[in-house]
Amino acid sequence: MLDHLLTWLIFLPLIYGLIAWFSPENLVRPISLALSSIHFLLSLLILTQYDPSTPALQLADKMSWVPQFGINYHVAVDGISLWLVILSTFLVPVMVLGSWTAIQTKTRAFHMSLFFLQTTMVGTFLAIDSILFYIFFEASLIPMYFMVGIWGGARRIYATLKFFIYTMVGSVFMLLAIIFLIYQCKEQLGFMSASILDFYKLELPFVAGTIFSTQTALMVGFALAFGIKVPMFPVHTWLPDAHVEAPTPGSVILAGVMLKMGTYGFLRFVLPMFPDAVSYWGWLFLFLGAVGIVYGALVAMVQPDIKKLVAYSSVSHMGYVIIGLFALNEYGITGGLYQMLNHGISTGALFFLVGMIYERTHSREIAQYGGLAPVAPIFTILFIIVTMSSIAVPMTNGFVGEFLILMGTYLTSPAFAIIAVTGVVLGAAYMLWMVKRVFFGAEGEIVTKYKASGLDVNRREIAVMTPMVILIFWMGLFPNHFLKYSKVSIAHLVETKTSYQLSVMDNPGRSMESVAQVEE
Amino acid sequence: MLEALGQLTGTANNIFVLSPMIFLFLFSLVPITMKVLNGNKEPSLLFSFHLPVVGACLALIATILISMINAAKDQVQVLYSNSLVVDGISTWTTVTIIIVLIFSLLMSRESLALYGRQFSEYVFLLFNSVVGMIVVAWSNDLVLTFIGIEVMSLCLYIMIALSRETNLSKEAALKYFVLGSFASAVFLYGIAFVYGTLGSTYLSEITPVAKEMISTSRMFLVGVVLIIIGLGFKVSVFPFHSWTPDVYHGSPTALTSFMATGVKVATFATFLRFMLTEALIGERAETMLVAMQWLAVLTMLAGNIAAIMQDNLKRMLAYSSIAHSGYLLVGLIAASTEDGQIAGSTGLIFYGVTYALVTVGSFGLVSLFETRVDKQVMVDDLKGLGSQQPYMALALTILMLSLAGIPPTVGFFGKLFIFSSALDQGFVWLVIWGVINSVISVYYYLRPVVTMYMQEGESVIERKAANTKFVVVFSSVMVIFLGLFANGLYEIARRSVESLF
Repeated sequence: MLDHLLTWLIFLPLIYGLIAWFSPENLVRPISLALSSIHFLLSLLILTQYDPSTPALQLADKMSWVPQFGINYHVAVDGISLWLVILSTFLVPVMVLGSWTAIQTKTRAFHMSLFFLQTTMVGTFLAIDSILFYIFFEASLIPMYFMVGIWGGARRIYATLKFFIYTMVGSVFMLLAIIFLIYQCKEQLGFMSASILDFYKLELPFVAGTIFSTQTALMVGFALAFGIKVPMFPVHTWLPDAHVEAPTPGSVILAGVMLKMGTYGFLRFVLPMFPDAVSYWGWLFLFLGAVGIVYGALVAMVQPDIKKLVAYSSVSHMGYVIIGLFALNEYGITGGLYQMLNHGISTGALFFLVGMIYERTHSREIAQYGGLAPVAPIFTILFIIVTMSSIAVPMTNGFVGEFLILMGTYLTSPAFAIIAVTGVVLGAAYMLWMVKRVFFGAEGEIVTKYKASGLDVNRREIAVMTPMVILIFWMGLFPNHFLKYSKVSIAHLVETKTSYQLSVMDNPGRSMESVAQVEE
Repeated sequence: MLEALGQLTGTANNIFVLSPMIFLFLFSLVPITMKVLNGNKEPSLLFSFHLPVVGACLALIATILISMINAAKDQVQVLYSNSLVVDGISTWTTVTIIIVLIFSLLMSRESLALYGRQFSEYVFLLFNSVVGMIVVAWSNDLVLTFIGIEVMSLCLYIMIALSRETNLSKEAALKYFVLGSFASAVFLYGIAFVYGTLGSTYLSEITPVAKEMISTSRMFLVGVVLIIIGLGFKVSVFPFHSWTPDVYHGSPTALTSFMATGVKVATFATFLRFMLTEALIGERAETMLVAMQWLAVLTMLAGNIAAIMQDNLKRMLAYSSIAHSGYLLVGLIAASTEDGQIAGSTGLIFYGVTYALVTVGSFGLVSLFETRVDKQVMVDDLKGLGSQQPYMALALTILMLSLAGIPPTVGFFGKLFIFSSALDQGFVWLVIWGVINSVISVYYYLRPVVTMYMQEGESVIERKAANTKFVVVFSSVMVIFLGLFANGLYEIARRSVESLF
């Protein structure tokens, strides 16, 4: 098993999906919960095998696939993808538990989509071959499309089509860029290769001031795909629709993992492959990121719908990730990576909480709530903890991420850091204002109506939230427990900006060479 | 046995190489002969259906044997003073066409519009149409190509008219006949110009001089343009595509699946042969190549944009097949350049095979909903199929995703290979248009999926039609299988194309 750990991690969920499909309707939830929990534990095995002292890609699995185009099945993990993989395996069992009562129809199909989605998510983060990456990246749309379209709200069909087509528009241009790079490999290296590692070696001509130079055009192709996925400011409009219409677990996975595919793509492809273009055009990404932060926060402030508010807060938070990455220094990128995880935890938790109250009252309208705190004390406590994490109060995970990002951005361009800081204030404003209106003050009509039937969380829901809350504090108090695995990889990326290379260690286990390095 | 067959020479070898056509022709005679002997009554299924299926399988085996022998001896066979050529393109096309033939025969047997009083005649025509297609795909001589096209088309006109549905099919037959004859005439006119300037209609004799002639002789250029127009008509390239939706819509669905794939694959094969003469390389041909690119872009756009507006599933697939002609044209353009011949041809062949597979499956699914002869299958008729019959819905979903080119289906690899061959030749804008079009197409390919899974309804497939269901399931399984093992298919295609050069 350990020999091909990553391959197992990617493809086992497919088998789980089939098991879920063929299991009896009343047992599908416990079975899925068990399988996904085991899978999460399995993914933790990476930590025992992973050697954090080297930026090299590890635990590699390689198999020839379409040799005519240099396309391989090639997966490996490094400090950049490690936590994202674990995040995606962590969220699935939580999601199965969280959707226990929310998903009432076609439960087997739902769990099958969930597992298939897990395969594509883990695959996206682990793929080292660009075409393989593209395939997982694109295939992830299909289960998500069904998840929103079948189990979603009233306008689900509009939302799911918009989601699918928006994302596809971006990714086909990425495909073009990838094909172009494959042929560049043939010209410069003498053989066709779709491996990201070979792409890093290419010398791509760059001319400042025009977008029609090779490097810039390629960067635009990739940035379009990832920017839509993240989503960055002008192309974010699919996100609120998809979030609002998606069922709770759909929103969680969308915010928790799928948005990270975009930012991960920036980190894996755009920054190392197009260093000149990135340092020349970096201001544009910083600008769009900063606009996204402020714009998302301002729009979130006026939303009458809690879920839509959280959705727009996602736009704002992902703006932080973008400016962190494009600060192009160690603080910024570390912060960006950390913020990806934070956002997965805290926004995921927020969507869970919104879903829990929606299940009871069938309303998400802020105006109908009020005075929830005395009626549902535990729910209130949980909600406020998650809110604190979302607005980056010290001791929570959000603080670490945003602090690093702001520090990194300030070093590169203080102006954008100042704009981004206003976002912190605005973020606190819209979240706390929402909390005030929902939980405190006069008792809202809907609270009065459903008070008798019990609005507080039950034990299952506490079980869903417990790991999230633990992580919020764990990541907030001991960031080094997590960051030590990524440190070397990020430092390597920052130091070797224009000559970024990655080697591959085909261990399982720490190879003798790297052990020797550690001893030195 | 392979070795023994490889030793054949002279007439024996000729007969062996022609055996696919011979099998098809002989077995096409079985049903109508039996009908005559039977006093003009339909013979039993054994003669009108089972034996022809066996014949088609024999032809398929024979083709595969021929291609294996050719591959083993690394040879291209040329028959009858150069007029027929059996190379990679020939065998690939033939295998595809015969598989499509078997599938559509299986579906025709269960088609309400086709199975009836005149089924024997239908089978006869179907088989001979395939013989025509094989001639088209093998022919090295433009005149023979013309004859092949005519044999193929004339059979098709009659088969459409044989439908028991009374309005649309007759209109379709007439429309196809008039426009098709017109296109054939244009094609013939082009051949005349080429013959007038070169004194030969053999592609192998055109090839060495075409590059030079295109820049020096205006007559030759006119001839080339007319031939391209004539072939463009047959594969429904914009602006010669407007017959396609009506004809595909009016024909019985089992036959539509045959036309949309067989005709297209065969004609693209001969189109490819014509382009490989390097007739479009050179200074003056540059303009022609640019024009071809615009035709490809407009074909994709015309097909995709019109398909968005269709509520009738069959019409939607008809428009989608126009769009796919556009994608195939992209591969053809790549193959027309000097360096892109191998990659372009391979991409084209790969795409053709996979397109045929997917299209047969999707039309098969449409035919499962046809409970009456004149039943129009609308997208809305699929409402709720996802919960009623999950496996059929899954099959259709896979087929649609493949047509849209979404991984991990084989449709994705088809597009990848075609677009990358064009990109390698520097057709960046063409490929950008291509990918924009595949995004547009996603909208309508997802519509049936939306209707099946996301809208409430009680749609069920009431027809038993085991054969048709087999075709649908088989093609959707193959779509995934070939998607995972795309390299195998691509490698075989590339090797057989390489033998040409």
